[in-house]
Amino acid sequence: MGPDDVLLIVMLTALTLYAILGGADFGAGIWEFTTAMQATDRERQHIYKAIGPVWEANHVWLIFVLVILMNGFPAAFAALSRALWLPLLLALCGILFRGSAYIFRSYGTGSGRERVFWESVFAIASTATPLFLGSAAGAVASGKLMIPTDTTSAVDFVVGWISALTVFTGFYSVALCAYLSAVFLLREARQIGDEPLTTLWRQRALSTGLWVGVLSFGGLVMVAIEAPALAQGFLNRGWPLVIASLLCGIGSLVEVWRLNCTRAAIAAGGAVTAVIWGWGISQYPAIIPPAITASSAKAPDNVLWMMLGVISLGAVFLLPALAYLLVLFKREQRLDA
Amino acid sequence: MTLLAAATVTDQLLPARLQMAFTLGFHIILACFGVGLPVLMLVAEWRFLKTGDRLWQTLARRWSKAFAVLFAVGAVSGTVLSFELGLLWPELMGQWGAVVGLPFTMEGFAFFLEAIFAGIYLYGWERLPARVHWWTGWPIAVSGFLSAVFVVTANSWMNAPAGFRLVDGKPVDIDPLAAMFNAASGAQVTHMVVAAYLVTGFSVAAFYALCLLRRQSDEYCRRAFTLALLLALVFVPVQMLVGDWSAKVVARTQPVKLAAMEGQFQTERRAPLRIGGIPDAATRETRYAIEIPGGLSFLSYSDFNAEVKGLNDFPAQDTPPVAVVHLAFQIMVGIGSLMALMAAYCAFNYAKHRAWPQTQWFLWSAVGMGPLSILAMEAGWVVTEVGRQPWIVYGYMRTSEAVTMAPGVWTVFGTTMAIYLVIGVATVTALRRLASAPMSEVTHGA
Ligand code: HDD
Ligand code: HEM
Ligand code: HEM
Repeated sequence: MGPDDVLLIVMLTALTLYAILGGADFGAGIWEFTTAMQATDRERQHIYKAIGPVWEANHVWLIFVLVILMNGFPAAFAALSRALWLPLLLALCGILFRGSAYIFRSYGTGSGRERVFWESVFAIASTATPLFLGSAAGAVASGKLMIPTDTTSAVDFVVGWISALTVFTGFYSVALCAYLSAVFLLREARQIGDEPLTTLWRQRALSTGLWVGVLSFGGLVMVAIEAPALAQGFLNRGWPLVIASLLCGIGSLVEVWRLNCTRAAIAAGGAVTAVIWGWGISQYPAIIPPAITASSAKAPDNVLWMMLGVISLGAVFLLPALAYLLVLFKREQRLDA
Repeated sequence: MTLLAAATVTDQLLPARLQMAFTLGFHIILACFGVGLPVLMLVAEWRFLKTGDRLWQTLARRWSKAFAVLFAVGAVSGTVLSFELGLLWPELMGQWGAVVGLPFTMEGFAFFLEAIFAGIYLYGWERLPARVHWWTGWPIAVSGFLSAVFVVTANSWMNAPAGFRLVDGKPVDIDPLAAMFNAASGAQVTHMVVAAYLVTGFSVAAFYALCLLRRQSDEYCRRAFTLALLLALVFVPVQMLVGDWSAKVVARTQPVKLAAMEGQFQTERRAPLRIGGIPDAATRETRYAIEIPGGLSFLSYSDFNAEVKGLNDFPAQDTPPVAVVHLAFQIMVGIGSLMALMAAYCAFNYAKHRAWPQTQWFLWSAVGMGPLSILAMEAGWVVTEVGRQPWIVYGYMRTSEAVTMAPGVWTVFGTTMAIYLVIGVATVTALRRLASAPMSEVTHGA
């Protein structure tokens, strides 16, 4: 295993954490969107409180993926920047609005109408971001992503990434975020012993969970038709993870039903992890299939080793700090109640 | 065919550069506060811990709220920049990512720590014991400082590329550490970090000077004003020295930038230092400037008789737009000199009366110095970035070679302007609301 493989593992880990932690954050926003009309103040406060201290940190995982790609696999970074011009711009727009809407809503002690405005912006942006990031991922997974060159026509540049699979993965990501967040919020509601909120989030988790389950089966069919190379990878190497993700998904639903909330949350996270790693392992060693692979896009080995050194050193500071943050705000809540 | 291709590159280049310049110029203001405000918060909270005086705590809390807003907007605008490096300049990282990527990776960690401790600090006022809470502010200040250091080394590498050999147009023998610690990084990093403290100090002081002009005797405003101004004034003389260091580095690494900064068209010994003046690229001279004979030679090379290369000695396609660079440089140095004047006046007044100047006139000049400090910082960046043109990586890659071929860059730029306008206005509104909230609410709220 060369340094590029180790770095790929680090990158995939960061991506997984972004999908789970950032995804649950996005999901909270998506829920505000769907419930904006009926949500009670209590429900809103519950969501705010859950994401307040952690959302900034949750979103740095994306930066992390980006800088590793930029530094470790520069050719892949350049190719993705060209090929995913539009979806990345749109996702960026979502990120921009989501972060700022969140902060203006919490700190701009404005009138009711203003708050509703920023809340809507927050909700729309929270939905749009995973939609476009998910589509971008789907475009890569499809194995058909065209890398524009200087002579590519403008139209191809803008729509070249769209396919049935990208549309599917976009919506699938939104659904996953909504499910993750419902499970996480259920856990928090249960921890503070709030009966009505617990019932509410349990229902929501169960119903989205069933939808995600149906979508997942649809997704497998979709991959088989749309992305034969990836499907072959699943058959050859990725299948244990596909099974793991199904088991975790079903398991999390059962635990939601039985109100074992921490287990449900872990299982839901496990399902997302299995989806991402299943994808990564099935298309390995390609980063952007078919042409761009880890070894064709990587920086020289000495650079990669140095990066790994920096990352290990950074982790020594980062991991304890992160643990402190999570313990402080995600475990203690029981004591507050 | 080649004609057609050339036309398209030109079409792309202008909006892409405007987009980059605008989003960077926006981010950098927030970044300055991200570096500087934690220092003020820490000092105020420390005073509270020492004296038990609630007013200090109120101050720290109010600043921490302003910090929360600025930090969040800084984070999203920074995320925009990371994407833009690829979206607008795909070949920059495609070609050079292996060489210059390391500081960005390091910066990733600094951001992470900053975001984590920002969460702990901002939401921990009630949860943590006072002393522990104070300590959780430290990592914010340190990692804000480190973010600035790392990202500016990346920029300085674009000015003074190092750490590789070029073989067949591809970098080989890459040494990322040598790239990071290049000829320009020391001066540029120091100059930027000091600029961040200056901008924070002067801007915060400007705000409280306004408050003092309205309510002379307000103890709260007086303390805030004094603290912020102190931070700024301490760094003023430092910045003068570091600016001189920067100029010497530019003279060595980018002589053409130096010539543009000074409006120096002819190569000459005993080159004069020009104050003001309008460089005219057509007639190849800089008119209406006050000239100090030998000044430029001395400041650049510590020798009144040193030869300074003029713009005429460089191929025309390698020279930056002179007027912009010269003007921006004059603005920065001019404002720097005003700051020095102010610092000297305060020191003089203190030596004589053992007190801070109290006159209306002084307070008004402090109000003015807030926006001016930001202007100086932006002007400095214009010198650096426009002065590097037409290169994106000085001497190795032209900006036109890096630009994206994607369509619609003008549309993106227009949209970005509109979005940033909304966000800018909302940020200022949120800050003003925080500032006008009743004091007690701030003391007891989250
Ligand atoms: C409050 C801000 C501020 C103040 C008062 C000054 N500067 Fe500055 N200057 C900056 C803020 C700044 C900056 C924005 O931070 C820059 C842009 C890039 C950098 O590293 O620092 C900069 C760049 C910059 C450069 C270009 C460096 C390069 O291209 O690599 C030079 C030569 C100077 N400065 C020189 C000076 C001198 C001689 C000053 C004395 C009066 C001065 N600066 C005051
Ligand atoms: C360390 C951080 C920075 C990096 C890595 C960086 C990088 C870049 C890049 C890639 C470009 C486009 C290519 C080019 O025109 O050469 C650019 C242009 C520019 N940047 Fe920076 N920049 C940084 C900081 C800043 C800041 C803080 C400002 C603040 C105003 C700024 C102002 C500009 C301007 C005005 C241009 C346009 C120059 C022109 O095209 O004439 N830069 N920068
Ligand atoms: C001289 C130039 C720059 C300085 C001093 C600077 C400094 C900072 C600082 C202190 C922060 C953290 C918090 C805050 O904004 O308040 C920040 C955020 C950020 N900056 Fe910059 N920055 C500069 C230019 C850039 C450039 C060129 C990029 C992109 C390549 C960039 C990318 C980011 C990102 C991604 C974040 C957000 C990190 C997060 O999510 O917390 N910055 N910057």
